[in-house]
Amino acid sequence: MATIEARGLGKAYAGRPAVADLSFDVRPGSVTGFLGPNGAGKSTTMRLMLGLDHGAGTTTFDGRRFSELQHPMRHVGALLEANPFHPTRKARNHLRMLAAANGIPDSRVDEVLGQLGLTEVARRKPKTFSLGMSQRLGLAAALLGDPHTLILDEPANGLDPQGMQWMRQLLKHLASQGRSVFVSSHLLSEMALLADHLVVIGRGRLIASGPVADFVRGARASTVLVRSPQAAKLAELMQGREGVDVEPLDGGLRVSGMDAEAVGDLAFDHGVRLHELSTQVATLEEAFLEATSGAEEFFAHEPGEAPVRAPQPVDRPQGGVW
Amino acid sequence: MRAALAYEWTRIRTIRSTWWLTGITVVIGLLIAFGVSWGTAVEVSQHPTGGIDDVRLLGPLVVTQGAAAGVPCLIGFVLAMIGIFAWGHEYRHGMIRASLTALNSRGSLWVAKYAVTGAWVAVVGFAVMLVAGGIGWLFLHEYSVPVFTGRTWAVMGRELVYLVVLAWLAMAFTALTRSQAFALVMIFLWPLLVESLITAILTLVPGLRDHADLARFLPFQAGSRIMDVAQQSHSIFGHPVSALGGFLVFGGLGAVLMACSWVLLHRRDA
Repeated sequence: MATIEARGLGKAYAGRPAVADLSFDVRPGSVTGFLGPNGAGKSTTMRLMLGLDHGAGTTTFDGRRFSELQHPMRHVGALLEANPFHPTRKARNHLRMLAAANGIPDSRVDEVLGQLGLTEVARRKPKTFSLGMSQRLGLAAALLGDPHTLILDEPANGLDPQGMQWMRQLLKHLASQGRSVFVSSHLLSEMALLADHLVVIGRGRLIASGPVADFVRGARASTVLVRSPQAAKLAELMQGREGVDVEPLDGGLRVSGMDAEAVGDLAFDHGVRLHELSTQVATLEEAFLEATSGAEEFFAHEPGEAPVRAPQPVDRPQGGVW
Repeated sequence: MRAALAYEWTRIRTIRSTWWLTGITVVIGLLIAFGVSWGTAVEVSQHPTGGIDDVRLLGPLVVTQGAAAGVPCLIGFVLAMIGIFAWGHEYRHGMIRASLTALNSRGSLWVAKYAVTGAWVAVVGFAVMLVAGGIGWLFLHEYSVPVFTGRTWAVMGRELVYLVVLAWLAMAFTALTRSQAFALVMIFLWPLLVESLITAILTLVPGLRDHADLARFLPFQAGSRIMDVAQQSHSIFGHPVSALGGFLVFGGLGAVLMACSWVLLHRRDA
């Protein structure tokens, strides 16, 4: 099973960096989500990994670059855009064409069509397909060579809730077989259910990479709720600690920047009685928004205002890895 | 390389446009052969001398749909459209990324596209000429008009070269511009309008008249000389240019455009 190692990926358009010095690993046996605001460079990164775009850096799949792989679809399956096929070439023929380039028998084409629920439309032209069916055909192409690595750009686009659940189960199943699954999505709720690890980028630079649980737990949006008859005293004890924010609530406090154990120990050490001590974990969306604030390519604008380019992000630690 | 050839061979056979363009080529080729053969048969039956200067030209005329006498090679332009679609579909429908993730060698894809499309065009062109010659023989053999002469076979060979070069030139142009619509317009406008305009300007503008014979080096005019056996040439780049001269000019342009398309395919992002 293959590890993806991306090192120093970089790409600039007209002198403006789209991806800059981006390095990360994708481990086998897990689904790694690839997150970033619109225009952050996710699709460019995936194209760089596969050698479709020219740029800096290298990506290896089990130590070999994509260009060095014989029969590449047997190693790496990719879905890079919504409709990567000719609209009038029948679905089965599209897969047969890809299979021919990789020494894959037609029986595997029929097998994958069945696996993706496309058998009934195998001899239909994709121009008649819904977006969801088109995505399934793209996914079928990615799975055709039974690859150890999958690189999927927004595979959930156009899928209905049942389709998304099916895709989630499929990708988790593929990862459980020891494959490396690298998948981008802007659907954070879906990613929260799907991904084991995350690579988060903003403006082409790495913001974070590591397990989803750590990413969420590390967000300042994760808070500790404290109820105490001596809330004021406890608040006083926590004030001034670096990175700790305390927000008074009715009969309690909301603390960010400290975990529940640390708050409990502090209260115990100073004889503060507690009635409730609970952790309120941020959602992936909250953690993502916090991590990428200032890294959006464009800000939305109020009605009547002209759209403006986002300001340069403030200095922040880049590439935090847990 | 075998993988790329297998990919292209499946690609060209599984797209409808290949078949309807091939069908149109066959229909055009056979209709023209039928018309020329029937007209000649009527003429010869009524006037044994028929006013035909050189009966040996009839075979080449029938099999090449008139191209042996300088008539634009219509089937060549239809077959060139198969070449345009070979690259055009890659860019028009975003197939280039799917192609380059199935085949991670851009060079192999490039070679396979030209090889398979060239082979398809050559086989279809040869088949059309062969059947056209058969139609000519059916109409003319009773009047002792020879169709499949040595000259006819030689002209068939030359037309095959022209068909393949034209298709490759159209492919290269499409790959360079990444626009099949633009390439489709240019492949017809260039020979029919642009070269005619340049010829007219060279002929009509007083200061340029002395250079009017330079028009023989215009690529499509030179290319048509590859099959033209009606007009004799005395030297490779004489006036008119010889078949070899026509091939060097027309094929040279094709080779330059193909080389540029090779370089750009490797340099561009997919």
